[in-house]
Amino acid sequence: MKFTIDWLNEYVDTDGFTPAELADHLTMLGLEVDAVTEMFQDLAPIKTALLVSVERHPDADSLSLCQVAVGPETLQIVCGAPNARAGLVTAIALPGTTLPGGIKIKKSKVRGIESFGMLCSERELGLSTGHSGIMELPADTPHGQSFIEALGLNDTLVEVDLTPNRPDCASVIGIAREVAGVIGRPLSLPVKSVEAQPSTGEFTVDIESSELCPRYSARLVTGVTIAQSPWWLRKRLLSIGLRPINNVVDITNLVMMEYGQPLHAFDFHKLADKKIVVRHPRQNEMDFTTLDGVVRKLDPDVLMICDGVQPVAVAGVMGGMNSEVSDSSTAILLESACFDSISIRKTARKLNLSSEASYRFERGVDPGGCLLAMERAVRLLCEVAGGTAESGSVDKYLGQKPFNTLTLRIKRTSDLLGISLDYEIIEKALTSIGFRCKQKDADSLWVGAPSFRVDIEREVDLVEEVARLVGYNTIPTTLPTVQLSYPEQDRSRTIKAEIGAVLTGIGYFEAINYSFTAEKHLQWLGLAEDDPRCRFVRLINPLNEEQSVMRTMLLPGLLENVQRNINFQKGAIKLFEIGKVFTPKGDNEQPLEKTRCAGVLSGNRFGESSHYHFKEQDVDILDAKGAVECLLHELRLLGVEALAPLSFALPDQGRIEPFTDPLQFLVIKAGEQEVGYLARFIPGVLRKFGIKQDVFFFDLDLDALCQLRSVPKNFTSLPVFPAVKRDIAMLVPEHVAAGELVDAVLQTREPLIEQCEIFDVYQGSKIQQGYKSVALSVTYRSAQKTLTEKNVEKVHVKIVNMLGSKFEGTLREG
Amino acid sequence: MEQELLSLQAEARKNLDQIAEQGQLEDFRIRYLGRKGQFSVIMRELGTVSPEERPRLGQLANTIKAEIEKAFDEKKAVLSSSPQSGAKGAALIDLSLPGRYPERGSLHPVTQIMNEVCSIFEALGFSVAEGPDVEHDHYNFEALNIPAHHPARDMHDTFYVSESILLRTHTSPMQARIMESQQPPLRVIAPGKVYRCDSDITHTPMFHQVEGFLVDTKVSFADLKGILTVFTQKMFDKDLDLRFRPSFFPFTEPSAEVDIACVICGGSGCRVCKQTGWLEILGAGMIDPEVFKMVGYDPEIYSGFAFGLGIERIAMLKYGINDIRLYYENDLRFLSQF
Repeated sequence: MKFTIDWLNEYVDTDGFTPAELADHLTMLGLEVDAVTEMFQDLAPIKTALLVSVERHPDADSLSLCQVAVGPETLQIVCGAPNARAGLVTAIALPGTTLPGGIKIKKSKVRGIESFGMLCSERELGLSTGHSGIMELPADTPHGQSFIEALGLNDTLVEVDLTPNRPDCASVIGIAREVAGVIGRPLSLPVKSVEAQPSTGEFTVDIESSELCPRYSARLVTGVTIAQSPWWLRKRLLSIGLRPINNVVDITNLVMMEYGQPLHAFDFHKLADKKIVVRHPRQNEMDFTTLDGVVRKLDPDVLMICDGVQPVAVAGVMGGMNSEVSDSSTAILLESACFDSISIRKTARKLNLSSEASYRFERGVDPGGCLLAMERAVRLLCEVAGGTAESGSVDKYLGQKPFNTLTLRIKRTSDLLGISLDYEIIEKALTSIGFRCKQKDADSLWVGAPSFRVDIEREVDLVEEVARLVGYNTIPTTLPTVQLSYPEQDRSRTIKAEIGAVLTGIGYFEAINYSFTAEKHLQWLGLAEDDPRCRFVRLINPLNEEQSVMRTMLLPGLLENVQRNINFQKGAIKLFEIGKVFTPKGDNEQPLEKTRCAGVLSGNRFGESSHYHFKEQDVDILDAKGAVECLLHELRLLGVEALAPLSFALPDQGRIEPFTDPLQFLVIKAGEQEVGYLARFIPGVLRKFGIKQDVFFFDLDLDALCQLRSVPKNFTSLPVFPAVKRDIAMLVPEHVAAGELVDAVLQTREPLIEQCEIFDVYQGSKIQQGYKSVALSVTYRSAQKTLTEKNVEKVHVKIVNMLGSKFEGTLREG
Repeated sequence: MEQELLSLQAEARKNLDQIAEQGQLEDFRIRYLGRKGQFSVIMRELGTVSPEERPRLGQLANTIKAEIEKAFDEKKAVLSSSPQSGAKGAALIDLSLPGRYPERGSLHPVTQIMNEVCSIFEALGFSVAEGPDVEHDHYNFEALNIPAHHPARDMHDTFYVSESILLRTHTSPMQARIMESQQPPLRVIAPGKVYRCDSDITHTPMFHQVEGFLVDTKVSFADLKGILTVFTQKMFDKDLDLRFRPSFFPFTEPSAEVDIACVICGGSGCRVCKQTGWLEILGAGMIDPEVFKMVGYDPEIYSGFAFGLGIERIAMLKYGINDIRLYYENDLRFLSQF
């Protein structure tokens, strides 16, 4: 909602308050002021000028040579306007001025004659599209003055961001009422009351759909001359960004902005049978051309205003071409009606057409205000357009609601707001903006809301009014008195926090991607059509194809991030994301939402760590494994003790993903259940994402991890006796996995073996082909005594022999 | 024997005095105090002394040795605390070289702010609940007093999945979900992702909110002001000015918007605060009786307040981020700044 301070002053005297102060009052009343702008500042250098004499240019018939008085100076100006004549007061841009369109005025020569400035049309000043001649200002305007001051353009525009509950303030009077209440000054209205007049039968109104049209009133004004509106009227509309059209249309728009009541003017002679019928369209009436020249497809639910034959307007939204007021119109049927807000809203949606009128009707127009606005418009039509108001009027008010008196409890209000109130305070607040109050008993009062406050229906609505009028800032600030209770932490939240701590600790940055993605990303991964991850929760109204389905995996988003970071020359990328993936369950059913944690890594292992200390090396699959190991250790789900529920395993036949390297793929299992996997992407897939370097990833089912029991922390006594370390270097066939040797050693369950670690794996020239050397370090310790060489040797030999026979290995010499 | 002891004492003292570098200490120790040092030699000779003399001389030897040992330790302490210690022999370390540590990552700024917000409310005794992103129309709108065709739906550009299923446009559905299944008193916050089909320089189609609510008997608007004042001051600055002004949400009444004094210009007016000196940071209000009725609470017995805040906006204000699209590009040059 836009208005100007000058306009506001027509209804309430705000003298003594700056626009900023008024804006602050409005904001604190819940009418949030978005912007306060000094208007027409770009016209500040324009002056008023009097044409003293006008002669024909000696060398051009269409140009005039004018002597123009601008204050004490008289200037020679060459002008091409047809209306240039002696005695005219107009606007002048002197050399050095830049017009709103960007044209810079200079002293110039036109056909050999010097011209010291430019006389301006409305279009050149950016005021309207009028360009038939230079502006004609009232003859008594002094010359040499500031143009904006002379025209009263030095005004301030205020824009209010209205909340949907305050349609009454979609009008300058509505705003003025609030201002008058808060600054304690009277509100003066152009029309305060109106006498209903009986119909004379000049025209008729039938409402077929009364539930959608609670009130329809109309009045006939004849003898109207269509013309440009006078300046004051155009100025009002221009100041809030509305385009003046002609006096009749401008009056309906002005009154709508003034009272908040949309009005419509029909050319009475174009209405067949002198009749208005409010009804739905018939089967053969589904194409309708609105005022803007667009043919609209109607449907049977749209409410139309019709004449005796056909629709002439979309009710409450926009008039039709066929009944439009034109330059030849002389009789105007003025409509001031009220329509059902939901119906108008649906229509505006359906036709994809919204207007100042539909904006107001959708939010609720006061049916009680129809006649006041109409009376105001009729008076203006008579004054401005030379019309004569016919005596009869029609007013069908079928949807009149009984007057709603509410009871407001004083204690209840005080308790809800946390401030001590009494009858006087409440009465003073409410009556300041037109409510009526009467004391009911010691603790309550009757309150009658004015009809324009369509939002006031319940006691709590009044409580809000009281709070708003008393001022939120006067309500004290207290802390609630509540019972102490301990909020239980959700396990998934603690796990998420731990994951964040561990992964950031080892160099991973957290990413957050959109929950929606492009279907093609999953195709890029090579997933089969029947893959469950290709069943999507699809958006009906996506913003674009890239964001059209809910994601079923986190990896595609992370791959996009990898690509982006490579483009920006990041040599090391370690990212993780914790987020939901979505699987459809059925139409009109919520999908399954599962939380996963995925990470991607590519490029330099040590990232931004000092390159002096950490030499550049590319990550490999064991970095991915390491991240998962570190994470799951920390969560005490892996490897802490034999009790830990998780372990790594090679994938079963057929488990490999179409986007992964089959030889670099590990699954993480809880018993038989897979809770995650890690692998290397195959280059072909990466290329589709625009990536030309190796990328590794891990992807864990967070919901499954949350279900697992982590190994409780349990103290083990520190060893008293020293340990003995022995190394073994075994030559084994190259297909044997080093980890199998470790497992075999630990599985002997020899009580003296405390630990067994791989410390080297070697394959090369010194080794027989087809074999590799695996070096293990075994730690022996007894809880009872210091081990002697002899004690250890016995077990160690056993281990070596076991490894030899189990893996066809031999002890490597040296 | 006695004479020998005394001259050894004098000699040791003199030599110890002359020691100026740590490197010489070990030689001294071996020569006098070691297992094969001169004191040990004399001690062993004590065996040859007559039994009458032995206790006195033994005691003297011990006293002298203890004295030298003490002097030696003192000397050692003095030398090791001098700045040049260790410099000789060892390579000089260039201390302008970088320290050695592996790079750490960081949480996304949205997560960091989210955690901060949650921990403030958790400290105030609120529990945390998370709900579905894909929500029923009922919980997102109807249960919050936003019936179909209500103009307030204009404030929510909604992504639909089917006629009655949508991507939640706010975290407020958790109010209805929790109140439906639990009885007051309640103190809950619900953080999460929300979606609106709106994308431009100031809007992303997905963003994060935290919803909070408190329901009990005798909860007032003044309490709402109190809790949100505590929150805002913890989140920003304890001396920060804030104001509550009337607003509209269908599920609260009275409704309020909370502004803080612009953290960029300090309240004098700038581009970020649109010259108003104030920044809107959260919406709040007393829970509307209609919402209570829909979950079966008696609004005559219970009252409560609810609030909602946008995480991205708070992060923008706190960290000075000027482009909301940066949040979801996951550019490491951005992420590594937090």
